[in-house]
Amino acid sequence: MSENAYDDGRRETIKIIGAIGIQCAFPFAGDELYGQHQHPAPSRSADPGPPKFFTPDQFSILSRVTELIVPGATNAQVPNYIDLVVRNNEMHKKTYTDGISWLASKDFIKLSEKQQLAILEPLCAEVDRGEVKSMEQKFFRVAKNMTADGYYTSRPGLVEDLGYMGNQVLAEFPECKLDEH
Amino acid sequence: MAKEVFDVVIVGSGACGGTVAAHLAKAGVNVCVVEGGPKIETRTDFNTHAMPFEFPNRGIPKMRNNKPGFDTERSRGLGGKSMLWNAVAWRFGPRDFEGYTRDGVGYDWPIGYKELAPYYERIEREVGVCGNLDGLEDLPDGIFLPPAPLKCSDILIQRGAAKLGRKVIHVRKATLTRPKFGRPACHYCGNCMAGCDVAAKYNSWDGHMRPLMKTGKITLQLDSVVYDIPVNTENRVTGVKFVNRTTLAQGEVQGKIVILAAACVQNVALLLQSKSNRYPNGLANSSGRVGRDFMPHFTGGVEAFLKPLIGKAITNDEGFLDHAYLPSFMHNQKRNYARSWGAQFNYQNRRSVGWARALPGMGDAFKKSVKDRYPSYFVFSPYGEKTPDEKSYVDLDPEKKDKFGLPEVRRYLYWNENDMKIFRDMQTKSREILEAAGAEIHQVYQEPKPNHEIGGSIMGKDPRKSVTDSFGRTHDVANLYTLGGNILPAGSEKNPTHTFMAVSARTAEHLIDRLKRGEA
Repeated sequence: MSENAYDDGRRETIKIIGAIGIQCAFPFAGDELYGQHQHPAPSRSADPGPPKFFTPDQFSILSRVTELIVPGATNAQVPNYIDLVVRNNEMHKKTYTDGISWLASKDFIKLSEKQQLAILEPLCAEVDRGEVKSMEQKFFRVAKNMTADGYYTSRPGLVEDLGYMGNQVLAEFPECKLDEH
Repeated sequence: MAKEVFDVVIVGSGACGGTVAAHLAKAGVNVCVVEGGPKIETRTDFNTHAMPFEFPNRGIPKMRNNKPGFDTERSRGLGGKSMLWNAVAWRFGPRDFEGYTRDGVGYDWPIGYKELAPYYERIEREVGVCGNLDGLEDLPDGIFLPPAPLKCSDILIQRGAAKLGRKVIHVRKATLTRPKFGRPACHYCGNCMAGCDVAAKYNSWDGHMRPLMKTGKITLQLDSVVYDIPVNTENRVTGVKFVNRTTLAQGEVQGKIVILAAACVQNVALLLQSKSNRYPNGLANSSGRVGRDFMPHFTGGVEAFLKPLIGKAITNDEGFLDHAYLPSFMHNQKRNYARSWGAQFNYQNRRSVGWARALPGMGDAFKKSVKDRYPSYFVFSPYGEKTPDEKSYVDLDPEKKDKFGLPEVRRYLYWNENDMKIFRDMQTKSREILEAAGAEIHQVYQEPKPNHEIGGSIMGKDPRKSVTDSFGRTHDVANLYTLGGNILPAGSEKNPTHTFMAVSARTAEHLIDRLKRGEA
């Protein structure tokens, strides 16, 4: 962002307004003018911390599931985010415990990626059709929701993957270039 | 200690309280503004530019610096809800004041558009409203700063709507598009409803009260939660009683005139809980209409992806949230319901990707699907006017009390036949417009959701059927007024705050006149 450009634009527009000459009913005194506006430096990422609810075995299954739903989820600390959300919610605790036990009973971690997908992809298709009744379906629905939420609120997901550009100081709102492409 | 008796005591410091306080102070009237929360500094006290990943649970807390006040529906804090509003600022149209005459449903206003027009203009000149001169009968033009340009997505919707003969216009907002009044212009960061960190968006403190503090005519009584409006044997209110927000210590300020401007339902609750021998059912409630005629706006909604933008490069187009508006178009058309609806759209902030979870698939294909749709995601939100019915009202819970000992408020909402006809029409037509614009529909909301609160102690000419006159002066008590959504006898489909402020400006002028005549 260019603070100087903003400053220059600002002086220019004051002149334009003066020419229109709309009467100011409540003028501020000079000493009440605001200082030059700056946005803070790019923000830090908070660490959701180590898992407190899931056991190490449960956590590795969860991590694998999130990674298969959204590749890059573990790098974005999505499993840690999920642990933080789940640990305070009894309903979620049961949903995850049941779902992860079910996967553990299939030795999920030791399966090949192809075999893992053969378990999860049909489940995903059912959930996409709106079938959320069985324990496995409920688990997948909630896990997908939280994986998507966690990933797209992380810096890797929101900024690096999607390319979020907002939160900037713009001197002017950019005109749409829709018809130029 | 000898107690000062103020000319006017105002409960609440939002758009209504702030407008009245500033206008009265400018005329030399001595006012006390009683605010339930602390001073809020819009430049530093909000998490305006935070990112979700700064917080372990990815939720951005609204406030910083341990400031409370804005996490509840009551929005206690200097400036009230004007600190968080989206700043949409319409004038109501002439039809909106004549609903009963036109449709035979609901109520007429006791005044018409012509009587309110000068006060709309006064507010526009004071606070700065941007917009385009559109020449529409239902959205009268005003004194505007230049509008912000339309977004690409707005232009696509505008073209789609045009195919169906519907007009899409620039939104009008009390947000500065040019520096004015010592406040800078908007910098289009897209966080209007998370507090504006430069006050380019109007709030009642920076826009109305703050510049008038040097007159010495405004006393701020902060952190004071009002619980009672005492009335004396001469049927006059004497001031307000409050408890301190943190210590719960009791206090009182006295005034010749009292104005309740604490927001719609809170004003109604204050009247209902101020019981006395004279008013056993609540202050100014001899009609039994306090709490009745509750008719908040209701919204529908469609979420969609605009196909021409799918897969396109992401741009920084959050702007000041919505830049365009679909005005009501049905007044001259044959239809099976009374009143109308209009639509706000495209006010989503691109930090929020909550829609991703509902896209089908998983793995790399899912990620690509989200990324492709990211620049194209779009929310369309029609707003409808609710008409009154006896099943929609507000009352006080006889048992439950909050931490201040105040009774909890209960809202009863019923969507009557007319409301549902509007709702179905707005859902159908919203879909048509989006499809004409080339949209892939993502989700359609199935139920009306209440929004801007309107009604609960409406104005009217008949004291048996209404609570106040057109100045918000209660029919029962000559020195008690109330301002806000609660006194509107019909809310139109338009965002109401500009109208609240215009009514408040008119009441301020009436009060100045009244005090000059020595009638207090």
